[in-house]
Amino acid sequence: MLKQLSRSDLEQLLEAVAKNYALQVPQLLADGTRQLGPYDNAELSLSGQPLQRKPTSYFFPQTELLLTLDAAGNVQQPPPAEKPLALFGMDRTDLAALTFLDQFFMAPPADDIYLHRRLNALLIGLTGDAGPDSSFLPLADDGCDIELIAINQKWLALGHSEAGKSLLRKFNDGDDKQLVTLRKASRDQPSDLLQQASQLLHDDLVPDAFWEEIADRCILCSGCNLACPTCSCFCLQDRQTPNGTERSRVWDSCQLDAFMREASGHNPLGTEALRTRRRIHHKLVADVERWGELGCVACGRCDRACPTGIGMFAVAEEMVERFGLRS
Amino acid sequence: MTATLTTCPYCGTGCNFYLKADKTGRVTGVEPAGKHPTSRGQLCIKGWNAHAFVDHPERLTTPQIRQRGQLNAAGWETALDLVHEKLQGIAEKYGPDSLMFLSSAKVSNEENYLLMKLARAGFGTNNIDHCARLCHSSTVTGLVETLGSGAMTNSLSCFDETELIFVIGSNTTEQHPLIGSRILQAVQRGAKLIVADSRRIRLAKQADLHLRQQNGSDVALLNGMMRQILQDGLEDREFIASRTEGFSALEQSLDPFTPEHVSKITGLMPNQIVDAARLFGKTDKAMIVYAMGITQHSHGVDNVRAVSNLALLTGNLGRPGTGVNPLRGQNNVQGACDMGALPDVYSGYQKVADPVVREKFSKAWGCNLPESPGLMSTHAIEAAVEGKIRGMLILGENPMLSDANQAQVKQALENLDFLAVIDIFPTETAQLADVILPAACYAERDGTFTSTERRVQHGRKAVDPPGEAQADWQIVCQLLQRCGLQSDYADPAEIMTEIASLTPSYGGIAYDRLSDNGLQWPCPTSDHPGTPILHQDQCTRGKGLFSPVDYRPPKELPDADYPLLLNTGRSYFHWHTGSMTRRSHLLDREERSAFVEINPEDAKKYGFVERQQIRISSRRGSISCAAQLTGKVPVGQIFIPFHFAEGAANALTNNALDPESGIPEFKVCAVRIEPC
Amino acid sequence: MHQPARNQQSIYAPRPCRLLSVTELTPNEKLFRLQLCDKTELQHQPGQFVQISIPGLTEAPISVASSPTRKGYFELGIRKAGQLTSALHRLQAGAQIGIRGPFGRPFQLDALDGKALLLIAGGCGLAPLRSLIQYCQDRSDEFASVQIFYGARSPEDLMFQQDLSDWQSSHNFSCRYTVDNKPATSCFDGETGLITNLMNDIQVEAENCCAVIVGPPPMYHPVIASLRQLGLNKPKQIMLSLERQMRCGVGKCGHCSIEHLTCCCDGPIFWLEEVEHLRGAL
Repeated sequence: MLKQLSRSDLEQLLEAVAKNYALQVPQLLADGTRQLGPYDNAELSLSGQPLQRKPTSYFFPQTELLLTLDAAGNVQQPPPAEKPLALFGMDRTDLAALTFLDQFFMAPPADDIYLHRRLNALLIGLTGDAGPDSSFLPLADDGCDIELIAINQKWLALGHSEAGKSLLRKFNDGDDKQLVTLRKASRDQPSDLLQQASQLLHDDLVPDAFWEEIADRCILCSGCNLACPTCSCFCLQDRQTPNGTERSRVWDSCQLDAFMREASGHNPLGTEALRTRRRIHHKLVADVERWGELGCVACGRCDRACPTGIGMFAVAEEMVERFGLRS
Repeated sequence: MTATLTTCPYCGTGCNFYLKADKTGRVTGVEPAGKHPTSRGQLCIKGWNAHAFVDHPERLTTPQIRQRGQLNAAGWETALDLVHEKLQGIAEKYGPDSLMFLSSAKVSNEENYLLMKLARAGFGTNNIDHCARLCHSSTVTGLVETLGSGAMTNSLSCFDETELIFVIGSNTTEQHPLIGSRILQAVQRGAKLIVADSRRIRLAKQADLHLRQQNGSDVALLNGMMRQILQDGLEDREFIASRTEGFSALEQSLDPFTPEHVSKITGLMPNQIVDAARLFGKTDKAMIVYAMGITQHSHGVDNVRAVSNLALLTGNLGRPGTGVNPLRGQNNVQGACDMGALPDVYSGYQKVADPVVREKFSKAWGCNLPESPGLMSTHAIEAAVEGKIRGMLILGENPMLSDANQAQVKQALENLDFLAVIDIFPTETAQLADVILPAACYAERDGTFTSTERRVQHGRKAVDPPGEAQADWQIVCQLLQRCGLQSDYADPAEIMTEIASLTPSYGGIAYDRLSDNGLQWPCPTSDHPGTPILHQDQCTRGKGLFSPVDYRPPKELPDADYPLLLNTGRSYFHWHTGSMTRRSHLLDREERSAFVEINPEDAKKYGFVERQQIRISSRRGSISCAAQLTGKVPVGQIFIPFHFAEGAANALTNNALDPESGIPEFKVCAVRIEPC
Repeated sequence: MHQPARNQQSIYAPRPCRLLSVTELTPNEKLFRLQLCDKTELQHQPGQFVQISIPGLTEAPISVASSPTRKGYFELGIRKAGQLTSALHRLQAGAQIGIRGPFGRPFQLDALDGKALLLIAGGCGLAPLRSLIQYCQDRSDEFASVQIFYGARSPEDLMFQQDLSDWQSSHNFSCRYTVDNKPATSCFDGETGLITNLMNDIQVEAENCCAVIVGPPPMYHPVIASLRQLGLNKPKQIMLSLERQMRCGVGKCGHCSIEHLTCCCDGPIFWLEEVEHLRGAL
């Protein structure tokens, strides 16, 4: 189903979504970054830099209450949200990250805490001329309920799910030929660099000394993990309050020494070099082994969050340059 | 979900981030500000976890009054009346100078200003100080003398264009991580790096030269480098002639510091000193970066003078990519100094001893003001032991863990007739208080903070304070009101208007001008763009002054009874006395308890193994903590971070003070170690 | 997206469980006998673990030390190491704690059927192995023979001393143990030396033999080398338990991952050939 939306159509659509969902839309914040925020007080930012905060944080937040335990050991679960979430403005990499995270958290046994937020949530992707200075962002073509493709101040609207289609029903049809052209423009190659780096690691062609070198440049900020939309590691935190013990989960980072350190002091990831290797290896090799695809969606957030320039792309580039096949 | 842009509460770098809060008013996370010139979308581990302590269940939520030894909940009016009545009573009976006020480098400019107003106008004493006494008082004293301004001369952006960075006594990647990362990035793009630090810190691994000089021998090292620079003719003759004074006195003073002589004092090889001098001297644009390794000595001011001399000698001042760059520790320690939470100056470093200045403040505040400078915090502790200080108000500081010689601090605080503490957690110091007033933390109030590069920027309220806790400025206002002073400020912006009207360097600072990444002082007028680089055409004092210094050894060095040197400082994951970071889950998990770094060779000698609890004793106290075997510390030295109450490094440290700045010698004392 | 049952308990919700008794095993280890408060069986299999929950201290993964063939209770042998285990050590019979699980892949009992078993444990690794040993005791006809080897640091670190002597006299069983070091003052008259010393002189029919190793990390390589020497060279002959800091038990938290595997779901029991090529596994 292909529709075409004018600006006022788009506003109508969002208005309709906001009736039944807690709608989050892209906005330009005071520091000049774009982030998702509540629909009610927002001026829409329909093109520009990638979203600063990873949108997956709506479903897997930095701190999340799991349950409350009272003195007798009774378990109380937090009340469900009043309305399901609707996120508008995710690009192809954001949607790919969420698809990856869905797969991860839903693998049996399914993570009910994640599911309760994720279920019934509505995703509206935003692609086309929605990049910085209205540059072109490749189409997602899946992974969302509705995809809005910006073109010439209008939006082609693709309904991917039933919920999406029914929201779009009343709008005018779009031009299929336009879609064909846009799809062609989107057929760029998946990041060759990451594939090459993945292969090098898989074939064990990267010496340990390389990881020591990279680790020496790491200041242990954990930003690469916390900014990554497919990172899913967490730790548990208990806090004793008058209402009982609140058990939450908190984003964790495999770059920290205590991440795997055992009470005995033994640590299977006991050096910075091993942890640095894990960060890259996990996304480029282990995830491929387990899920059949790279764990990196090439969104670039870790490279932007890294204060010393050793994010995924930077490391992959250095790896390929130094250890790749010279033809 | 809300997102509030604010300034990080930890170090002085001045990163900005968004605090995420949920519908129930709880902070849930942090997102770095993407386009802020300091954070640039990046944070360190403490920044990424800066939300974690905010809603901790141990937050203080109600005023407490000690009755028959017990702290009991009380109403605000009762508690504030009591604080005012007790302090007033002591002032009347023993004189205003029997009171001491400790302000805080963790609270805003406005709050520091109000507390200094309370001390001076409300109670008639200049006895006000704060923890800059323990960190950069040597810098303020030293650089005011040589350059006329005691702050970082250049901006963080200068790291992107400098050719050489000389880091002396700063573990930058751990203590100012986003500045440390700029240094690492500078090295990646080809800048040279000299690190002078007895510990093998992360920066040392990337350094062209790592000088592991003996703790406390910095003057000798710096003098040695300067002598060599002159020998090789690498000094900046033109700069010396046009911009400085006192050169010949300096030249003479350097004579004895031959590489061989310096080698004996520092433990370095003579050629290391020569190499460092040549590398530094041959570079056009060099930045000197320093922190506690320079300042926390009984000769801290001399160290600062020597650093300043080196910059003047080589003309590394007043240009991009150069400068004398003391890195300020706390997020508002620069601001607390700027606001005059110091015993000898009002805001903007205007001297209390100057009658013209006094007259200005006296008129503005509508009261008489005391003439003679007050006591430094370190001297106030001594005075409290002697019974000369009898009442104290401490705002957001924890001297029980942060000051040298814990036993003496405890004695001092217990000796007081009355102690009031304003804080967010029941700290070790608050446990000794007669009245505790619960404060809002950084996430719960508005205010401005001044970063190490003199950038005045917003801290913004994201959520309400817990229980009955109030913003510090509101608490101090209610005390001002009880002293009969004007105190009806509507908000912190109005306080800033008053500050700007009385403080030349903040004259152009106003809330509506700060939204775009703040302003760097001096900013004298409302149309002034701020000053990224100080001393550009001339120094603040006019000519840059060469101030020759001689080497003086630390007050207590290892001997037969106490054969090891104790170095103290901070770790990456914790902040000062741990009241915030030890209540932040990830940070606490990373380093859960007290530890001591010991060289494997020393450990072998004593038969200690990794994680073994060992006892460390000095002439002042004894503690135990877990051994961490590491080559980071040299043989003969141990290092203990001071965050941990259960293994308090400051039970051991020496409160030998610098005669000018009053800073204690945190970096050197003698200890012995034994099995527990 | 498939709908999970909304009324189900969260996978993170602990179940209440009563402490029936506490027995001191060594100065640092205690045996806790527990029962679910609803009096149902835990329904675990040998080799699985549970998450012990103590409000305020989160959770810790502990292997079950008793066999499901012993009804009405389950047992955990716990060394005092961190905050949570120290708090557990302060508890007495009657106390209530929370529990999640059982979790993880158990010992592959099918593969052990009819085999001559070499069960090898070091340190507190004997606790998880005990669940299998008890199982073998209760189903002794299903195995050709059971040889137990156990190494501890010193005589006072020997766990389950009563069990050790019981096992020595069980049908089809043999049981040998050793200590690394014996203090001069000790009256211990057993064997001293590394656990591999016990295995040098044994006679096995390698073809029909299966070994299970549970121990501290440094033990794996030498023991595996000894087993290879004895001729255990085929796949599915050596099974081992890997200890990691499992936080969630359900494959989500990431703390126990070994390359692409998660120890809490794909393990903690692995065949050697599944993990020996993985970095940081052994």
